[in-house]
Amino acid sequence: MYNEVYEITLRSLYISSFATALALTWSIPISIKIATMKSDIRDAIISMFNALFALPTVLVGLLLYMLLSRSGPLGSLGLLYTPQAIIIGQAVLITPLLVSLMYEIFIKALSDYWELAMSLGATKGQAYMLIVREVLNDLLSSSLIGFGRAIGELGVALTIGGNIKGYTRVLTTAIALEVEKGEFEVAMILGGLLFVVILSIVLSVRVIRGRFK
Amino acid sequence: MKMKVVVIALLIVIVIVVTITQLYEFLNNKTIRVSTTTSLYATGLLERLAEEFRKQHPNIVIQFIAVGSGAALELASKGDVDMVFVHAPSLEQKFINEEVLVEGHIIAYNYFVIVGPKDDPAKIRDLSNPIEAFKRIYQAGEEGRAFFISRGDNSGTHIRELAIWRKTGLNPKGLEWYIESGTGMSKTLLIANEKEAYTLSDIGTFLKLKNEDRLGELELLISGSKELMNIYSAYIVNPRKYNTNYDLAKLFLEFVISDKGQEVIGKYGKEEFGQSLFYPAKGKEDELKVYWKKLTEY
Amino acid sequence: MIELRNVWFSYVDNRYVLKDINISFERGVTVIMGPNGSGKTTLLKVASCIYRPTKGEVIIDNTPYWRLSEQRRLEYRRKIVYLHEKPILLKGRVEENIAYGLTIRGYDKREASKKVHEIARYLNIVNLLNKRASDLSIGEKQLVALARALVIDPEYLFLDEPLSHLHMSKRERIIELIRSMKNKIVVIVTHDIFLTLTIANKVVVLDEGRIIQIGNPQHILKKKIIK
Repeated sequence: MYNEVYEITLRSLYISSFATALALTWSIPISIKIATMKSDIRDAIISMFNALFALPTVLVGLLLYMLLSRSGPLGSLGLLYTPQAIIIGQAVLITPLLVSLMYEIFIKALSDYWELAMSLGATKGQAYMLIVREVLNDLLSSSLIGFGRAIGELGVALTIGGNIKGYTRVLTTAIALEVEKGEFEVAMILGGLLFVVILSIVLSVRVIRGRFK
Repeated sequence: MKMKVVVIALLIVIVIVVTITQLYEFLNNKTIRVSTTTSLYATGLLERLAEEFRKQHPNIVIQFIAVGSGAALELASKGDVDMVFVHAPSLEQKFINEEVLVEGHIIAYNYFVIVGPKDDPAKIRDLSNPIEAFKRIYQAGEEGRAFFISRGDNSGTHIRELAIWRKTGLNPKGLEWYIESGTGMSKTLLIANEKEAYTLSDIGTFLKLKNEDRLGELELLISGSKELMNIYSAYIVNPRKYNTNYDLAKLFLEFVISDKGQEVIGKYGKEEFGQSLFYPAKGKEDELKVYWKKLTEY
Repeated sequence: MIELRNVWFSYVDNRYVLKDINISFERGVTVIMGPNGSGKTTLLKVASCIYRPTKGEVIIDNTPYWRLSEQRRLEYRRKIVYLHEKPILLKGRVEENIAYGLTIRGYDKREASKKVHEIARYLNIVNLLNKRASDLSIGEKQLVALARALVIDPEYLFLDEPLSHLHMSKRERIIELIRSMKNKIVVIVTHDIFLTLTIANKVVVLDEGRIIQIGNPQHILKKKIIK
């Protein structure tokens, strides 16, 4: 039983960190784009993201299932019930959250740092780099929040991962199964483990940030 | 600037490595995907059968996806699994008609049980007929003396419960004493225990929780009659609809109905609970088929 | 020389902050004055090529800046520095902040460090070099921002209220420094009359987005005081 717990924990970490990294690759450019938009269009888009963020994870999972199912449009990719599917699913899930958190950071950064960089003779690329460097800390905080949501979510991992033992079982789906089975104590222990894992990550990032402050 | 390039390169490398290992796994390990019900999976029988199977076929991996009966069959109809293990004959018939399921075999059976409060306000303990028992529970409920907890989730257990209600000619839906938990068997039993209510359960979950002293208020009141028979079947998903793994699924199915497989099924649970959770189908297939047919009308 | 021809500028749709601006900035120090909200800062940002005019042209050394390719624009941008009224420093230490302009121009660490130390000595802020930018007072930040702008030795210097947070004692040093830059084109936005009288060659008065006066400092200021 204990090796299973170890394996499940590692898998949760691996899947959700990749999902967060993946989500960042498109969330950051999207946030920057939103930050540069005119305020009325921007407000409309942000409202949309806020609403998307509120969708229950099971629903998001279901939508993704329909996409990835063999009978669905992306079925031939054979992604369903694989860890990769969960990575993609969680990345999609946390995107509205990340964008909602980050666009504000960029609005401020763009007005202050873009001008500053240009006023000192930077190229556009250098200006972007400067912005990213300056907001890195805040971006990191947002990423952590995104990671927390990814590793703690159930609906997506269950619906498109399948909770397959030794393959796509993660902490949250394992907890759900134990609860189903009536094994409440085991579920609580796994839940406590999940909490400890997230806490350790948050703390270690703080320490790392502290060094570079 | 360099750091960024390094990190991106690293990520790309990792993605490539992961994709390659996934591909390797995919090509080398043969995998059978099986959908099943959470209650059946939760007994642990399936992983046990898979374990035995692997002794003879070490490079075949069996993946179980445990969901509700309805969902398990839906997955089959979408071609997302190669095999299904379920126990909901009426639903099964529907999917057989739609040519989603082929080559089915009954693999085991056991009985649902009606459990209820120790003091049995509806007085069903001496009955042998569950339909009669439900009628009495209905009456007791209307008189405010009893509660009934339904799973309300389209699971095999729920479908059977509804079928029995239909046979009584009574419809409890929406009545005050009829509570739909919308949840799994364990939680439903625990709710029944809390509220000292009646409910329909599978034998495995009930025994397990009872053993753990968590169902102090409940007792097994009725079991063993044919209306409570729970027949487990395994089907291969029609390979012509989607590119499913017919050959491997057939291997596993043959194992489950073989002497060895049936032996595993028959013994399962003896150690833990003192009694087996399942009766093997072997030797009784014809009888069971008749009952199965009856159950499709439920 | 930087020339603005028929420049109109609006941030949002039809509200013009700059209206029909025609002016050229030549060698020496030009001071821009005017009431709050008259568009002084915007004029500075447009003249320093940070903002593109809604209508009209910005011409540097006889070349229309905004019609150039990005690459050519960069060449000009590298000769111009604009200093914000509110000193915005980057995360990190003061030395890195001051070196930023050099770093993006490709100076190696040693070269950059030498120049940074030079300007720091001149402005008397060597003691700040190793401090964290976030630990400085607003006056210190302004000096650092100034150092950051000056270390690049730009041809065009656009300063927005460069002395507003500084102590009297420091001001003199800066004024000296600016005065010594008469071969450059320096444009300053300020309310500080003393500064204007001391170093301005030309004064431009702005009101509600339009230039209402251009002239000699004493002349303009006398008018203002009498008004």
